[in-house]
Amino acid sequence: MQLGCDMIRPQLQLSCNILAPKPMLPEPALALSRPIELDNLTLGYDQHPAVHHLSLSIDPGSLLALVGPNGAGKSTLIKALAGQLRPLGGRLAGLERNRIAWLPQHSDLDRSFPITVRDMVALGLWHRVGALGRFSRAHHALCDEALDQVGLGGFERRGLDSLSGGQLQRALFARLILQDAPVVLLDEPFAAVDQRTTDDLLALLHRWQAQGRTVIVALHDLVQVRAHFPLTLLLARQCIAYGPTASVLTAEHWAQAHRLHEAFDDRAPPCPGVATSPWPPGREGPAHPVPAQHSQHPHPHSPRPAHPHPHRPTAEPAASA
Amino acid sequence: MHHPASIAPPLAHTTRSTRRGWLGLAGLSLALLAPSLQAQTTPPAAGPAVRAVASFSILGNLVRQVGGDRVAVDVLVGPGSDAHVFQPTPTQARQVSQAQVVFSNGLGFEGWMARLLKTAGYKGQQVVVTQGIQPLAAGEHAHGHGHSHGHSHGAPDPHAWQSVTHAMAYVGNIAKGLCTADAAGCDAYKANAAAYTEQLRALDAEIQAAWATIPAAQRKVITSHDAFGYYAKAYGVRFLAPQGLSTESEASARGVAQLVRQIRQENIQALFVESLSDPRLIEQIGRETGVRPSGELYADSLSDASGPAPTYLAMMRANTAALTQAVKGP
Amino acid sequence: MTAPVWSALGPDGLVFALLIQPFAEFGFMQRALAGCLALSVSAAPVGVFLMLRRMSLTGDAMAHAILPGAAIGYLIAGLSLTAMTIGGIVAGLAVAISSGLVARNTVLREDTSLAAFYLLSLALGVLIVSVRGNSVDLLHVLFGTVLALDDAALTLLVGIAGVTLVSLTLLYRPLVLECLDPGFLRSVSHWSPVAHFGFMALLVINLVAGFHALGTLMAVGLMVLPAATARLWVRRLGALLLLAVLLALAACLMGLLISYHADWPTGPTIVLSLGAAYLLSMLLAPRGLVRHQHPGSRHRVA
Repeated sequence: MQLGCDMIRPQLQLSCNILAPKPMLPEPALALSRPIELDNLTLGYDQHPAVHHLSLSIDPGSLLALVGPNGAGKSTLIKALAGQLRPLGGRLAGLERNRIAWLPQHSDLDRSFPITVRDMVALGLWHRVGALGRFSRAHHALCDEALDQVGLGGFERRGLDSLSGGQLQRALFARLILQDAPVVLLDEPFAAVDQRTTDDLLALLHRWQAQGRTVIVALHDLVQVRAHFPLTLLLARQCIAYGPTASVLTAEHWAQAHRLHEAFDDRAPPCPGVATSPWPPGREGPAHPVPAQHSQHPHPHSPRPAHPHPHRPTAEPAASA
Repeated sequence: MHHPASIAPPLAHTTRSTRRGWLGLAGLSLALLAPSLQAQTTPPAAGPAVRAVASFSILGNLVRQVGGDRVAVDVLVGPGSDAHVFQPTPTQARQVSQAQVVFSNGLGFEGWMARLLKTAGYKGQQVVVTQGIQPLAAGEHAHGHGHSHGHSHGAPDPHAWQSVTHAMAYVGNIAKGLCTADAAGCDAYKANAAAYTEQLRALDAEIQAAWATIPAAQRKVITSHDAFGYYAKAYGVRFLAPQGLSTESEASARGVAQLVRQIRQENIQALFVESLSDPRLIEQIGRETGVRPSGELYADSLSDASGPAPTYLAMMRANTAALTQAVKGP
Repeated sequence: MTAPVWSALGPDGLVFALLIQPFAEFGFMQRALAGCLALSVSAAPVGVFLMLRRMSLTGDAMAHAILPGAAIGYLIAGLSLTAMTIGGIVAGLAVAISSGLVARNTVLREDTSLAAFYLLSLALGVLIVSVRGNSVDLLHVLFGTVLALDDAALTLLVGIAGVTLVSLTLLYRPLVLECLDPGFLRSVSHWSPVAHFGFMALLVINLVAGFHALGTLMAVGLMVLPAATARLWVRRLGALLLLAVLLALAACLMGLLISYHADWPTGPTIVLSLGAAYLLSMLLAPRGLVRHQHPGSRHRVA
């Protein structure tokens, strides 16, 4: 029940809803039962690695920001987590294909398709109705509720082609809400969206985390990351740093990340299969003496975030190539 | 015995039987090759004296009757093919270029002939067998409605051979043409022509007799091919059709409706599916009126050798029999 | 109502003479209408999805692609509905599946892969027909006319309409999602290839049924034109499907009647009726050319 919020205009309903007690959507498992494991994962296109020998573990209920320079492999990693990309090497465990909600950076949604906002959003209920099931009244109510949550309260009957960029992004978020998945993957979701929408949607992310879902978001805006994300992975084809945001987003880490060689090299030798340093061999060596801190993370075998988890042993860093 | 690796043993080491075997094989090869070698030189008196090309099967049959053994005839549009949409192959272009006489019907029947002759570089004799015949206009034969045809009204109807009298004129033109091409055989040609013309006269009388027993009002036939104008005029029969001469014009609902009405009103019994055009429309009309399709008529070509109309005489007899049978009713 | 109006509606009246009498008197007109009904109900919805997937030109391409199949059927069994239909369907499906596989798994997109395969298929068909030496124009023999529908052809059309309607009902949601957001469909289910290839199969059988019974012009026309016209009027998918079917039906009826009264060939007249509706819609419809340029001055408060 939205106590007294019914009379308030849709734009304000969102902040109202944060305060009002939200009925939980009836779903058995909002949280993953075990962590997501990346084991020596290599992802790429045409034999060139976009993500190179990544090994780490993501706990259930994390709100993780994925940052890095252009070409760092963020979208590729998100795609792989979403099950849309086959690894070139290594493995990925802990994810169930149908229980992932994924919002790609460039959706191939056809905006001119003759469909209403509600019908488009309702497709997020695929996991319940499938291809042939009927939409019941309860389902319609869920759709309307999801639209309310993203501030599109009066938009049910509007055509998809009449939405602005920000409104469309909200609608896609509403669809994600309805997907009700334990894992939510977002790739640059706020790229073309105004500040107010962004704030609203960030609040939504927090709510998801509070419900126990694992939320992984690739982002550029470090201010947002520092303000909203407790956990960050800095990626520059390899893991540069992974852990609490403050300890990851440091100047030295960024310096390392920016030394990433962005372009694919057709003359690069085949990878020997062992973790290598962030710099391609024979190219530029360190311009200055390697800082002591760096020696702890030359290889992507520092999988664990800094807080202790008793049931997982820390892996030993392997010898460098 | 010979070494397994060698292809043929040197002659010095063959046994007598092996040598005979090789000689036999050589002789057999020469015997097989001889006819083709012969064909490329001037043929001796025993083989055909004249190479002729006829444009379609009916004409080919007539030319063979007049020419006899002296003339080798190649037919371009074979039995069962449609002369309206014919496309010559390279083989046929070669036959034309090697021929001494080319026989064609004329009156617009072979729209592709001029181009074929030019492509083949043919400079020899051309005989148009409808020379001297008074043609009917395409719309002139009796039929029920002013429907558009493949040929425009005013263009001549080329199917002159459907009247036996005209076929006799064809034979005359063929004989003249062959005489010009091969004067040595002219007597033979004239004799063949005369004999065949007698057969044609008998045929004509036969057809007239067959129709004489049927009252004029009953002589009405439906067929999908508008090719029987000359037959209609010569023997007093009315042919009605839903579509024009070519297979390309598409039917309109009104045309079909008028025809159905006419069949019903005039109580026509005979319905024919012509072998070259879309029979489904004919069957539909048959279903509508309760008149079953009666069989096949041969309008533009003969049937193949095993069919009921392998020659012109057989074709005319078969057509007439089918028509009279259908018209007389069940 | 006044007396003249009453009499116009009665059995001797003008309305009857114009609209009812041709169908009352002639069985072939009734069959033509029944065949058009079946084809409208099945081809128009397929055409709507074709348009939404931006594949409207595919219909014409597929018409050429089915030629070798139908040609082989004709050569084996003569003018047999069964043989040519099966042959055409097999050839059409082969081209559709091959081009779909290529488009989904290589760098080539749908339009290029389809163009490549249909041209191959067409050339093969022409070769088969020429080599066999029969110079009867196979295309005209293969493709019938709506006035010549026999029982077998009607059964085929009704059967295909039934299959199409059932399939579209079952495939509706995956098909919509496949057009709307294929990435999302791929991420939530395995229905994506089923939706795609199922739709291509529906396209092929509708085209083959249409060609065989009604001719090239009509079958593709009944798919593409009603969908395009309806799109100019309505915005929702359900309404789009319904309006497309109604337009197809109306055009068939009008085309048959005009062909009857004005003595015009039936197939082209039906397609021209569809075309007239399309052009009129350009002028009058809210999304047409004219209203788009001059949207009018009135607007709401919010």
